[in-house]
Amino acid sequence: MPIGSPPSSVRTATVGRPEGRGDAQAPKARKLRGSRRPLADRLAPYVLVAPAVLIIAGLRLYPLALGVNFSFTGDGDRNGQAVGFDNYATLFDDPLFRQALQNVGLLVLLLPVAVAIPGALATFIYLRVPGHRLYRSVYFFPAVLSPVIVGAIFNLLLAYDGTANTVLGLVGLGPVDWLGDPDVAMVTVVGVHVWATFGMALVVFLAGFATLDASLIDAARIDGASLPQVIRHVIVPGLSRTIQFVFVTTMIGLLTSMFGLLYVMTGGGPEGSTYLPEYYIWVQAGQMNRPALASAASTVLFGIMLVVGLLQAAVLRRSGRED
Amino acid sequence: MKQRALSAIAVITALASAGCGSAADPGSDSGGSGDKLVVWDWKSGDEAAASYIERAKADFAERHPDVEVEFVAQPFDQYYNLLGTAIQSGEGPDVMMFNGGGQLRDRVDALLPLDDYVADDRERLAGWEAFSQDGHVYAAPVTLQGHPIYYNKALYEQAGLDPEAPATTWDDLADDCEAITDATGAACFAQGNKEGYGIQFWLSGLGSGVLTDAEYEAWIAGERDWTSPNVRRVFELWQEAGETGLFNDGANSTAMFNDMFAVFESGEAAHVIGLMSDVGHWKEFNEFLGAENVGVMPAPVVNPESAPSLPYDGGIGYGVAEWTDDPELAADLVRSLTSSGALEAFYADAGAIASDTTIDASDAGPAASAIVAQIPDGEPALHVALSSETLELLGRLSQQLLSGSITVDDALGQLAENDQAD
Repeated sequence: MPIGSPPSSVRTATVGRPEGRGDAQAPKARKLRGSRRPLADRLAPYVLVAPAVLIIAGLRLYPLALGVNFSFTGDGDRNGQAVGFDNYATLFDDPLFRQALQNVGLLVLLLPVAVAIPGALATFIYLRVPGHRLYRSVYFFPAVLSPVIVGAIFNLLLAYDGTANTVLGLVGLGPVDWLGDPDVAMVTVVGVHVWATFGMALVVFLAGFATLDASLIDAARIDGASLPQVIRHVIVPGLSRTIQFVFVTTMIGLLTSMFGLLYVMTGGGPEGSTYLPEYYIWVQAGQMNRPALASAASTVLFGIMLVVGLLQAAVLRRSGRED
Repeated sequence: MKQRALSAIAVITALASAGCGSAADPGSDSGGSGDKLVVWDWKSGDEAAASYIERAKADFAERHPDVEVEFVAQPFDQYYNLLGTAIQSGEGPDVMMFNGGGQLRDRVDALLPLDDYVADDRERLAGWEAFSQDGHVYAAPVTLQGHPIYYNKALYEQAGLDPEAPATTWDDLADDCEAITDATGAACFAQGNKEGYGIQFWLSGLGSGVLTDAEYEAWIAGERDWTSPNVRRVFELWQEAGETGLFNDGANSTAMFNDMFAVFESGEAAHVIGLMSDVGHWKEFNEFLGAENVGVMPAPVVNPESAPSLPYDGGIGYGVAEWTDDPELAADLVRSLTSSGALEAFYADAGAIASDTTIDASDAGPAASAIVAQIPDGEPALHVALSSETLELLGRLSQQLLSGSITVDDALGQLAENDQAD
């Protein structure tokens, strides 16, 4: 049987049915519906998209709505009762949650650094500094380690009596309480996160460099441009789309995958200075037995991610248009 | 058509959010079937506890040969998260392990009062207080957990002090510490407050030497005066100890489990407020320092009107879920898990001070004997009486006190407010 014959047979069946009634109503009905197609035809698209819609609605939207709904109920003695915006009031009254939101802000501020490091290193590899082949693989290596292992390693290195402070002591600098000083701890953890994940961004940058027109750099050099000038006027403009992409993915990484490191390295401390919303949610739901409050925090985090996601989508769309 | 699809989704969403409810359906019930009991804990997977589980199972099988018992060992890190999920859904184990104090009290709604089932064990076992709420018992104690002050006799000797006569007052202790630090370079107290647990041990370990009997009882009963001079004194001591270098360096970034205990075990600190069971306790210290070098001292007297006592509570215990099919059967399993034979195995193999007061501990070294001797006069630990929310705040504030970014008055004010809000 040739491919394509089944649809045609279906069509004859569906089209043929109203005519099969054989009475005068058939043309009348067709006339009433005007140009509309028969019922089965009109239902077909809905039936076909139903599985996807049901999955999205049942496994995504419904739980989301449940979670939002749950955030308006109470915890403990008030379990199941509607409490209006009480949870949200508690949330924004809690210095710990405000600290968590502040830390999100800090992450956004640190984002350019997190992008600049792999960018600069990729530039050096592209410019073939001595040993660039070795660096290329060494830089990628931490990206394959799990956050738990990375955290455990750095816990040892950054302990008060650990290797980092011993080295500082050798050059005559006082010990730094990397994970015990509230002003330093968050930056430390972000630094470790960047160390552990910049390999991926580096690969993306190297891929971007591969599309760069080498003759432009040669031309700039012949015109007497210095290295900083080459980077500033040739490489950065040529890589603008790659840089935007790395910005977006690094932001997502910072906002969504710091939990493991925080859990292993600081546990939200010292003094609550390294809380992030997702860690806060985990603590409230499990340790504090306040799932409704955790739902409220999840809803707030969802709102933040929605805004960030839409902004990123806008950036990516704009850069796509430049193609 | 796009619009119609969108409006359909909008309707579904609106319907979903209109339905009011909670994740925990109060009326639901489930659990193991009649001839099978499921137990959740974080101990049964531990090799050291194998003989304990064996003995408990055998004891239960004798009385209920047809009932199958399944132990599910959960990772402790995740235990209360997993349990929380089970409680929210009203489905889960029939019997479950709890830490005494806040973790149990926060969840008594999901537990069955055991008063009638364990009446015969009340005399034999100690530590019921930590598993009770509003006059009802919700779990039976397996181990006792408390906070004795351990000291390193070898360091005392090196500093020319009498290791058998440790200081009994705070001022003497401070003098001894100065001598030890001068002679050996060891810190006075091993301290690990990364998780904010250090202050809990400090409060309970030293509290009985600061608070008067009346204050102590009122604290345990829930009438806590956070602004009283004696409560204040405990927190001042904490801050002073940090400022004057009684703690090892970097206390706020040293994990209690197990870096703090490692500091003590390696002889880098002369004292540690440790535990009685599980970890950071006499058995571990005996292994590292030699049983003859591990001493236990009562809380040093800070306030002459106080009467130092060993702070301890029920450590871990087993409770019965309120949704279980056959409460009597499940309670019987709890009784097997706290039978003398099983607890003796737990004490001998896992190095825990078991809740059973009839067990003989004289062969476990001087430190264990000293602890057991103090149990009859012991009092519930101060921090166990606090809710987990207050403890979390206490941990954060204690780190701020050590770093000097908050005053004792501010900290006590916040704690009073939080404690009273509960």
